Order: sequence, then C-alpha cells, then structure tokens
Amino acid sequence: MMLEVKNLVKEFGGLVANGDISFELRRGEILGLIGPNGAGKSTLFNCIAGYYKPTGGNILFEGKDITGWPPHQVTREGIARTFQGMKIMPNLTVEENVMIGAFCRTGNRQIARKEAWEILDLMGLTGEAEALPAGLPIAVQKRIELARAIATRPRLLMLDEMAAGLNPLETKEIIQTLQRIKEEKKLTLFLTEHVMEFIMTVSERVIVMAAGKKIAEGSPVEVARQEKVIEAYLGERYAKGR
Amino acid sequence: MRQLFIDIFFFGDRPHFERIGFLIFIIIVLVFPWMVTSAYGRAVMIKFLLFALFGLGWNLIGGYGGQVDLGQAKNVGFGAYATALMMVWWKTPFWITVIPGIVIAAAESFAVAYPMFRLKGHYFAIATLCVALVWKELFIFWDWTGGARGVEIPIRSGADFVYMQFNSPIYYHYFILFLFLLQFFFVNWFRKSKLGYEVQAVRDNEDAAASLGINVYRTKVINYTIAGGLGALGGSFMAVYYLYIDPDAVMPLDLSILIAMTVMVGGAGSIWGPIIGAAILIPLDMYLGAWLGAQKRLGIDFMIYAMIMMVIAAKEPKGVWGIIERVRKKGAR
Ligand SMILES: Nc1ncnc2c1ncn2[C@@H]1O[C@H](COP(=O)(O)OP(=O)(O)O)[C@@H](O)[C@H]1O
Ligand SMILES: [Mg+2]
Repeated sequence: MMLEVKNLVKEFGGLVANGDISFELRRGEILGLIGPNGAGKSTLFNCIAGYYKPTGGNILFEGKDITGWPPHQVTREGIARTFQGMKIMPNLTVEENVMIGAFCRTGNRQIARKEAWEILDLMGLTGEAEALPAGLPIAVQKRIELARAIATRPRLLMLDEMAAGLNPLETKEIIQTLQRIKEEKKLTLFLTEHVMEFIMTVSERVIVMAAGKKIAEGSPVEVARQEKVIEAYLGERYAKGR
Repeated sequence: MRQLFIDIFFFGDRPHFERIGFLIFIIIVLVFPWMVTSAYGRAVMIKFLLFALFGLGWNLIGGYGGQVDLGQAKNVGFGAYATALMMVWWKTPFWITVIPGIVIAAAESFAVAYPMFRLKGHYFAIATLCVALVWKELFIFWDWTGGARGVEIPIRSGADFVYMQFNSPIYYHYFILFLFLLQFFFVNWFRKSKLGYEVQAVRDNEDAAASLGINVYRTKVINYTIAGGLGALGGSFMAVYYLYIDPDAVMPLDLSILIAMTVMVGGAGSIWGPIIGAAILIPLDMYLGAWLGAQKRLGIDFMIYAMIMMVIAAKEPKGVWGIIERVRKKGAR
C-alpha cells in the first residue's frame, strides 16, 4: 500500500475541517478527491504533506508512519505536491525553479541542471527556461509548479486543484501531460478538484468529501450515482440539468 | 576540481555586458592608486572597497536570503576586536587573527540565529538590531576589551606583512582589494551552489521551498551564520587600517544601517549590487562628511540616506541594479 490514512482528524478551533477520514491509496493508481469548496480537501493535503499537524489519526507512507513530519522531510521521503493558488518563486527563472526541485536529490549543480532540462523538455517548457515566471500565463505557471514537484523525484504526487483557472483546452493539455509523466516516471497520483469534469475523466477511483467528512468512495461512475453525493455536491451542478 | 574552479572564478551564467563591466571595474581598481595620488581620494577608494566587502557579506542574508539584518556591525566588531586584542595580548600575526574573528562571529550568529529565526520580517530585523546593540554595550562595559577607551595596536615601522601595517595607503589599497576579491569569489561560488539556491528559494516562498525538500529554518540559520562570519573579515581589516578601535568605531548602529543600505541601494540579491551601492554611498558619505563638517554629527547625512532609501523602496525595490536590468531588457526588445 502506498498511502494509508487512518482516522485523520484536523480541527481549527471549533471547526472540524477533517473529521475521521480514512482511505488507502494503491501504488500506481490515480485517486481523485472531490467535494465542494470548504469540504476540507486542501486541509487533508496539508496534513499529509506536513503543512498542518493533524489533531488525531495516522498517516502511513509505504508502511512508514509520517504523521506530523515537517514538509521538507515528507518531500524527501517521496511525496511531492503542488499548491492550490500556486506558490511560484518569482525572482528565480523557470529553469532555476525546477533546478531547486532537482537539488532535493543531489548537491551537484551540473546534475541538477541536467535533470531540470529533461523535465522542462518533458513539460514543454524549454522555451520559457530563462524567463521569470511572474509574467507567464497561468497555464504555464501550473506547468512550472508541476515540473518543480516532479524534479524532487517523488513516488506519490499530490495535485491540489490543478485545473482551477484553466480553460478547457489547457485542461485537456495538462491531463495529457500528466498521463504521460505518470507513465514515464511511474508515479502514483492523488488529485483534488472541486470541478467535476476534470477529475471524473482522469481518476480511476474517487473519494467524495463534504463538510469535513468522507461521504463516498468508489469508481467515478459508482460515486456519481449515489444519492448523498448528488445531494451534497453534484446537486448544485448536475441535478438541475437532468 | 575543474568545475569548482569555474564556479568560483567564472560568470558564464551572466550576460556578456556584465562580464565586460566587471573587467573594467577590476582594471580601474588595479590602477587607481597610480592615477589618484591625493590621500583623500585614496582613502575614499579604500573605504569603498571595505564597504563593498561588507555589502557582499550582508547580501547573503539581506539579498539572497531576503532577511533584513540590521546588526551586521556586531560581526565587524568581533573581527576587529579579535585582531586588535590578539595583536596586543600575544603579538599574533594578522592572518592568524582573522580566523578566530570569523569563527567567533559565525558561532555567535549561529547561537542567536536559533531563537531569532522563530521571528519573521520586521520582528527579525528589530531582533538583529537589539542583539548588535547589546554587544556594543557589553564591549563598552567590559574592562578586558578596553571598555569605552578602546584598543590601540602597537605601531611598527616600515611595511610589515605579518601585522599588515604600512605607512603608504597604496599597500592598504591592494590589501583590501585582495580581501574584497576573496569574498567576491566566495559569494560568486555561493550564489550558484545548492545552498545558494536553497537560500533564494526560501526568500521567494517558504512553503514552496519546503515542498521541494528544503529545511527552511535550517537554511536560514546556516545562511545567517555564514553572513556573520563574512562580516568579521572587514572588521579585522579596520583594526590594522585605523590602528585604533573602540565600540563606537567598529560596532555602531550607523555601521549596521550603512552596510544594509549599501546593498539595498545597489541592488539586493545581485552580485553587483553591493559594489554599485558602495560606489554611490561611500563617496557621498565621505564628501558629505567633509562638506557638512560638524553638522554630519547632527545626522544630516542620515536624513539624506533616508530620502534615497524611500525613493528606492517606492520606485525600484531592486535598487540601481534593478534599474539597469530594466533599461537593458527594454533595449533588447
Ligand atoms: N489554516 C486554517 N485556519 C483556519 N481554518 C482553516 C484553515 N485552513 C482551512 N480552514 C478551514 O477548513 C475548512 C476546509 O478548508 P479547505 O481544506 O481549504 O477546503 P477545500 O480545499 O475543500 O476547499 C474551511 O472551512 C476553511 O475555512
Ligand atoms: Mg482547496
């Protein structure tokens, strides 16, 4: 088992952002996490990645208990992530952004640079290598964040709202890129999204969260049929159309 | 080995015009003492190189690290006192006194960094300022360091390369130039090293840095430790250049601020920033001092700096170097 989350609880004051969440993630699969805004998806990511200390429960990565580990250690262990709303390093070039990711596994600049260029190539970013990220389109910035995360050589990659802010064409392109690097780098993917379309097409299995609770789990088709899912979430979007 | 040599001495990653600019700069500072014969002019040049050196060290923490440190004078003081006191007590040669100076400054920086980096932004800046002020008061209070009277280094005759005492400023010029280049090439290596990139990543975005496997806290502490050690080198030079030091001369708040401002005016986080900043502020400071005379004591010079600083902060946070880069990029388009 790649990742096991057992009875995870995260409270902010009185607010229960994650209430008793348990699930498993198998090696090589693509697991989607969906739920309306405020459901607790990013909080769950932040707990796994070490940005939040869980109030209770356990997180096991490849059998090792990583609960409460600081973020840099989680990354070194083999879990990389991207951020909802992106966190790019604005004063460093695209190449340097990716190189710093590669420095996670080496102290040698030549090796780090070579690795960065391989990934830039894979992500279609070689044209922007020398540019500062700030002026680039959102879709390109998302690719930079993705490239940077991959450069740390993760086995598990967690992407928080990858499609947010992208148009349908850009979304399609990033899905294709993701599928390609997943094969090439032998990654396991864990994605969140509050927009359904993206995640339903990509994921093999999905977890549905609402108001801090896990309310359903299964294949996209199974889950989309469940009454409580439609009520809690799909209701707003799909029920109307049917 | 070959790669290390390249990393230290080459600027292959920088554009052509920067490399030419650096070459011209090196030629100017090499021939300067033969072109300018006035004692005052030479003194200005030596002080420029000294502050460019201070700026290079501060740039690690303040520029590449993005942590506003307002206490670099304490490290200058550690270097100056290590050199002066060891010379007085044990007649230790200059080049040996440099090492404990750097080690003490680095060790103290490491010790205070631990609690200090629990703080962020303005709180960190204020903390560095306070720590430096405490050290200055201690050196005034302590008898064994000469207290407020300071320390006088016994004068030697002729050119002495063991104690680095000379009666001609030409020697001091090449002496400080050597120290400057030593530090310059160290920083040139640093900025391209893994640690250098980690430091810049932490400056730009701590969460992103952590997500790439960087221990944010540890990176800050190591960076502050190195920057502290570098501050001491210029302090050692000050001891043998002035031959007399006291806490007011080598660890005042003015010095901390001037060092920080040199880099901010020139361009924080750029290897050229400290040099440009010192080239602007040091002549300004010295000629302003000569011109204002007693009024300098009233702080008129600092009023002028404050105005420069406000303009920089409002118009171009990356300093004069930021302006140069912007103009060049416009020209290229
Ligand atoms: N750092 C925090 N401090 C306080 N409340 C938080 C914090 N982070 C998230 N929350 C709260 O937790 C709930 C879940 O948020 P989040 O995990 O961001 O949801 P999602 O990613 O599913 O949109 C929200 O009510 C949010 O306000
Ligand atoms: Mg979210």
